[in-house]
Amino acid sequence: MSSAVRWLAVAAVAIGLVAFPYWSAAWESSRFATTVLRDMLVFAIFALSLDILVGHAGLPSLGHAAFFGGGAYAAGIASQRLGTDQLPVTLGAAVLVAGVLALVIGMLVVRSEGIFFLMLTLALAQIVFAIAFQWTAVTGGSNGLAGVSRPTLMGTDLSAPDRMYVLVALTFLGVCLLVWSLMRSPYGRALTGVRENERRMRALGYDTARLKLSAFVVAGMIAGVAGALSAYSQRFVSPGDAGIGTSVQAFVMVLIGGAGTILGPVLGAGVVMYIQRVLSSAIPVSETVLGLVFIVFVLLAREGIVGLGRAAYARARAR
Amino acid sequence: MGGFSKKNDLAAKRGYTYRLTRRQLLVASSAAALAACAPAAVTPGASGSPSAAPGKELKIGQLLPFTGVYAELGNSMRRASELYFKLNDGRMANRPIKFIYEDDANVTATGVAKTQKFIDQDQVDVMMGVVPTPLAYAIRPAVHAAKMIFIDTNAGGNALTRDTADCKPACKSPYIFRSSFSSYQISYPIGDYLSAKGTKDWFLAYANYGFGTESAADFTTGVKKNGGSVTGNVAPPLANADFAPFVTQIKNQPTKNVYSFFSGADAVGFIKTWNQLGLPAAGYKMYGAGFLTEQDVLKEVKDLANGAVTSLFWAVELDNAENKKFVADFQKQYPLLPDVFAVQQYDGMRALDEALNSLGGDTTDKDKFSKALEDVAFKSPRGDFAFDKTTHNPIQDIYLREVKTTGGQTVNTILDKIAKVTDPGK
Amino acid sequence: MSPELLFQQALNGLSFGALLFILAAGLSLVFGMMDVVNLAHGAFYMLGAYVALSVVQLTGSFWLALVAAPIALGALGLLLEPLLLRRLRGRHLDQVLLTIGVSLVIVDQIGLLWGREVRSLPFPPGLDGSVALIGGVYPVYRLFVIVFGIALAAAIAVIYRRTKLGMLIRAGVEDAEMLGALGVNTDRLFAITFAVGAALAGLAGVIAAPVFGLQPGMDVDALLYSLVVVVVGGLGTLGGAVAGSVLVGPVDTFGKVLFQEFALAVIFAIVALVLLFKPTGLLGRIRIAR
Repeated sequence: MSSAVRWLAVAAVAIGLVAFPYWSAAWESSRFATTVLRDMLVFAIFALSLDILVGHAGLPSLGHAAFFGGGAYAAGIASQRLGTDQLPVTLGAAVLVAGVLALVIGMLVVRSEGIFFLMLTLALAQIVFAIAFQWTAVTGGSNGLAGVSRPTLMGTDLSAPDRMYVLVALTFLGVCLLVWSLMRSPYGRALTGVRENERRMRALGYDTARLKLSAFVVAGMIAGVAGALSAYSQRFVSPGDAGIGTSVQAFVMVLIGGAGTILGPVLGAGVVMYIQRVLSSAIPVSETVLGLVFIVFVLLAREGIVGLGRAAYARARAR
Repeated sequence: MGGFSKKNDLAAKRGYTYRLTRRQLLVASSAAALAACAPAAVTPGASGSPSAAPGKELKIGQLLPFTGVYAELGNSMRRASELYFKLNDGRMANRPIKFIYEDDANVTATGVAKTQKFIDQDQVDVMMGVVPTPLAYAIRPAVHAAKMIFIDTNAGGNALTRDTADCKPACKSPYIFRSSFSSYQISYPIGDYLSAKGTKDWFLAYANYGFGTESAADFTTGVKKNGGSVTGNVAPPLANADFAPFVTQIKNQPTKNVYSFFSGADAVGFIKTWNQLGLPAAGYKMYGAGFLTEQDVLKEVKDLANGAVTSLFWAVELDNAENKKFVADFQKQYPLLPDVFAVQQYDGMRALDEALNSLGGDTTDKDKFSKALEDVAFKSPRGDFAFDKTTHNPIQDIYLREVKTTGGQTVNTILDKIAKVTDPGK
Repeated sequence: MSPELLFQQALNGLSFGALLFILAAGLSLVFGMMDVVNLAHGAFYMLGAYVALSVVQLTGSFWLALVAAPIALGALGLLLEPLLLRRLRGRHLDQVLLTIGVSLVIVDQIGLLWGREVRSLPFPPGLDGSVALIGGVYPVYRLFVIVFGIALAAAIAVIYRRTKLGMLIRAGVEDAEMLGALGVNTDRLFAITFAVGAALAGLAGVIAAPVFGLQPGMDVDALLYSLVVVVVGGLGTLGGAVAGSVLVGPVDTFGKVLFQEFALAVIFAIVALVLLFKPTGLLGRIRIAR
């Protein structure tokens, strides 16, 4: 497939994705499908941001929901306290809060490795969760933050389901582009170097601590964006958005889909959300199914769906 | 320990061919599985006809927890629904009932998504269920906007049936009804009653989350109304494992009357620890909101809860014809005693049935549907049942119950009744 | 806080710490030996408790359950290690995902087999009384837990230092590759280690059940607590598990009571503080990167 054809295909898919609510309007379950797809895309953004850490920088963070939840609460609280629904304001608040949180937590964890890194990120995220759960005056406490309004952008109200969807889809594409170009840049390749052999990178003169910290902050800010979108979509933020369940969910999406790729976390998000939201309505044992899917994938298809796809493609070409 | 490398020496050792065959199998089977499952959710096709006209299927969406910490409540409520279905030949008015159950797994985001499914995909005529209050608060906007009649059969957060500032954390809606209780109703009256009878000094022990803090606050209001006071509190986190540190604190302070709010596993742990640390012998008395000593708890702690005085709008032992029949029917269908969650669900079904009868089965006009529900009044296992027309919360008698063990059975016996308690929401 | 209150809370903290030690020892062992973070550890603990529930229901004997559950879990571990984990040697992220998958399956199946209601185990007869102590009465069972924890630590220490198996395990913790190069069947050793880890988790489940009860979600709490203890104490060593539980038990107990609003965050604050000052845990040794 030549490069031009590939770009055309990607563009076609992108346009199809963004325009989904419109061309699927005739379907009986169009509205529901739009909602499901919207939530998948929000989580795809979240998973992509985690993949910057897990797949590219080699930092297995189990506390990434702290930034997702932080961004969600920031967007919600900003719209309520500042009295404005302007997208740049509330989204900006989300990115800012998530970024600052990522900076603080990042500085604390960046010198840890392996399981200590894992545990430290988990512990610090749980502290964020505990604050969200207990600080009723600000976050609504265990009952969550209700009445989060959807944003307006330059006069256009984005409350309608199809407009909300378009916002999410466009943001998703933007994040894909951002992560893709980031990973191709010298910065991205330096991160890969840190993942492969940190000591050598240090010997080569890179400040690996700063590299890891910057990756942490970038990943955190993108997670904050996903959190804000989640808050707008649900019109609600719950403490669980910053909790361990959400962190593990994203981690699993990355691993199943294929860490270190663009398509991987996106497909992983799709599969996991599909099982949880759609399949769970049909089959009662979905937790067992999910568990078995993990086990099977890990044992037989380590590079995830993307890896499977690549292998199949390679074999098809080799014939 | 070095970084997490993606290299897999072991795979190389095992030989590429072996993995290849497995992969082909995996790809084939997953593709088949996904293909088999996929289309259900997203099928283009002719739009379905509205199911609201009389004689057509009545779709009831039930959002309940079947997994997670509240799973047993969801199961109990499903049993009650199925019992009602059976006893009424699967019909309400002239319409055959179809239940669509969804599991919220006590994850708010999942519950919100399933609610959207009820509204957009299943296009249910009415929605029931919801155990956790945060979920009820989270779905309020969507339910209200869609004019979906929703009968909350458990979540007791006060705000759901009140007029609150800025509708935070939630507020009432013409389309939302509650067949369970508001946490005010099970907390304030007992505080008022006991402090009026002379018990003035109280110590509080409650689970530190929305429901617990709300109950403790309403109880305190009741106590203060009669000049009583609260001398202190312990507030373990929700789903606390070890109650010993907290009960030890209670034991080392002088106020003997302790009002508690715990339910489920927390209640079991609290009551067991209360006994293990010798509080009854030391003169401490346990009081609480009814969930502290409901069936699920008494089944496990048995006579350890003897003497606990709690307030609830129902007890298994309640002596009225409707309750006797309900308990008998339930036991005949299942080898179990019903619990309060079953009653809440059952009454919700009954209210729905009564409303449908008055509507002639026509659920198309949601405002008429709402009015019909407002007007229902019937005899339920808990006594007279009716919704408060302003708030849509039940107006109900609150019973003061004491745990007693007779003939090997530990039950809540009725001590007294506080009649026709209304939630003060406007 | 009066001296009596302090004493009682100290006993609470110690008994909780003892339970944490029994819970965390298995996780520490498996990590130290195999570099596997077994995220199914909480599920094993939960399964041990439910197996004990059934045994007690069938036979009425707590002591039988105390023996049966670890054996059952050990057998499960012996089955799972060669079947699943062995293929993932050295692939840490994959092991994480695998053990998550295993725990999802086990926990879901427990719910299907035993139901999802709240259950509890009574204290075993003989240990169900309370003794008069400073400040009031204290349940005998919790004192038993302290004694049992100490005895278990001593037993593990003896096996560790005086037996061949213990020596092999110590060597494996130090350098498994070298051990393999020296001709020891590391595959079998790892399987046994994993089985022992699972058995210890099951044992913890039985011992803790009369105190904590059984309910959906208990696996996550147990996993979090054992991870905290293991990481705080320093991974892979018996001493680390002891140090971790002796610290976390009392600090969590006092913390939850003194700082009620932060009760949820106390153990995580402990982790954060310890790791910030001692990045490899209290007794952890700096390991040479492989």
